[in-house]
Amino acid sequence: MSSLLPVLVNSLLAAGLYATMAYGLAMIYGVMRIINLAHAGVMMLGAYATFTLFTRFHMDPFLSLLVVVPLFYFLGVLVYRAIVRRLPRASAGPSMESLLLLFGLWLVLQNLAYFIWTGETQSILTGYTMKSIEVLGVRVGLPLVFVFAASAASLLFLNLFLRRTYAGRAIRAVTQNRDAAWLSGIDAERVSAAAFGIGTAFAGAAGTLMSTMYAFTPDFGRSFLLKAFCIIVLGGMESFTGVAAGALVLALLENAVSAWTPIPTTFQDAISFTLLVLALVLFPKGLPGLAAGLSRKVTAR
Amino acid sequence: MTLRIHSRRDTAIAVAALLVLLAAPKIFPRGVVNDLWSVAFAIVLAASWNILGGFAGQVSIGYSAFLGIGAYTTALLSLKGISPWLTLPLAAFLGAAFSVLIGLPTFRLRGPYFTIATIGVSEAVRVLASGVSFTGGSSGLRMPADSYDFVSNYVAIVLLAAAAVGISWVIRGSSLGQALAAVRQDIDAAEAVGIDSTRVKLRAHAISAAMVSIAGGLFAMNFQYIAPGSVFDFRLSLSIVLMPIVGGVGTIAGPILGAIIFSYMQIKLLSSPALRDSYLFIYGGLLMLIMIFEPKGLVGLWMRLRRSVRRAPAAEIAA
Repeated sequence: MSSLLPVLVNSLLAAGLYATMAYGLAMIYGVMRIINLAHAGVMMLGAYATFTLFTRFHMDPFLSLLVVVPLFYFLGVLVYRAIVRRLPRASAGPSMESLLLLFGLWLVLQNLAYFIWTGETQSILTGYTMKSIEVLGVRVGLPLVFVFAASAASLLFLNLFLRRTYAGRAIRAVTQNRDAAWLSGIDAERVSAAAFGIGTAFAGAAGTLMSTMYAFTPDFGRSFLLKAFCIIVLGGMESFTGVAAGALVLALLENAVSAWTPIPTTFQDAISFTLLVLALVLFPKGLPGLAAGLSRKVTAR
Repeated sequence: MTLRIHSRRDTAIAVAALLVLLAAPKIFPRGVVNDLWSVAFAIVLAASWNILGGFAGQVSIGYSAFLGIGAYTTALLSLKGISPWLTLPLAAFLGAAFSVLIGLPTFRLRGPYFTIATIGVSEAVRVLASGVSFTGGSSGLRMPADSYDFVSNYVAIVLLAAAAVGISWVIRGSSLGQALAAVRQDIDAAEAVGIDSTRVKLRAHAISAAMVSIAGGLFAMNFQYIAPGSVFDFRLSLSIVLMPIVGGVGTIAGPILGAIIFSYMQIKLLSSPALRDSYLFIYGGLLMLIMIFEPKGLVGLWMRLRRSVRRAPAAEIAA
């Protein structure tokens, strides 16, 4: 039996990473109504990019964010222009074609990583990987604190970008109402490319952050993808604070279960997957399309 | 968009193919029959998946759960001394029951949300199966030594494949098939004309899950060894989805075509290390190409080619 404080501190720190991971997914969904299954593959590539920068150029993993973020932004824009744009635009909800297309991309990315880095498990060991620090009287790993700080900084930066710049406001406008945004002269095509780039950059950044804490293989990212889905479903797909709240709920639940119940840690992933299904079924209000569909059903009766 | 059934000719071809397949152990060497086992197994999975994924348009990436349930039902009961053949009906029942259990909540979700939920369910099942002790954990389970009989297992999987295709064909022409097609095209309109969409989806799910579970039981009997990593594998779920999509989703011929291509590829991949390392590349690339250029798969491509060949002379006359 452990007390409340360690659970709270650990959850809060983990929530930062979870929010970074989920935000890229939420942005792409918001602007394009596309569920980006390739998100997992991009997170995995982010981890490997950081790994290469670390082993070849001895670049600190957190410093490598400065390389990974712009690189993955352009990668995202490229993927959008080369592939995603070719899909027929779904008017209401996300289309099955886009889901399966990006699923295919995920598989290709996995195989690409396998070609370049082989299937062996890799990890990044820095001078501070094993160090720990006291936060509010609770001992936590130093990387976790750094990861939280980097996540918080990037989310703050993103929030400012979305509120203060023209491009950010255009993204929000398209998210809220694509047609109205188009009528007021916003180039939805360019906004979509930018949003796909930002979403990809965030996935890459999340991969970088995760590589400082976890070992990874080309298969890395699948369980995190499901966690990210869980978060955006819990928090509502388009709201900035909603994503943060969803991340906190998931982190709290995971930490509480491992601290206070006898459920072994091997089953921890099963918790978030079950929560995902429960959240999808019980709180469908987070999914605007689904909510609209349900209310239509209710009014029809 | 379905292949028209020229009933007499097609029935003749199907019966001839079935007879050749059933006689195969007497005609062909063992290696070929082994490959034919894989083809028939793939046809069962693809044709079953197609009943829900193709006819009703509900894409599930979680079918390995049913295969695993079937395989474990057969393995666990055989180890208790029950004849493996007698375990197959129970495997089918448990698979169908589980499909209803997960279908009840997830069928409230639409399109891609349903798909994501199925990934969640199958991952949860896989994690649980690797964690509990009765599945043998990561070391798996070995079937009792006297349970192996290749020829009768081969005949059983061929008959199951024929049943899966036959049942698909019957369903497509039935009122259930009509209801599933209505759900696929417009679920709101289907509900409006009085179709209980959840109920028809549950039925399609249960029928296909039962057949996949029996295939799982036969899988355990044929390979004599199962582990959560082999029967609950995500990649297995993946190929079950890809086969009908490559062949042509929602058609009768598509899943068969996709299953033949895939099992041929799988056999080739296994024999060449260079190809084995790039199978995800091939799967993923195929999926992307199909989604961009021809979402209806090879059958759709064939129909398009045939139409353009037929139209060409007419265009000349018009000119």
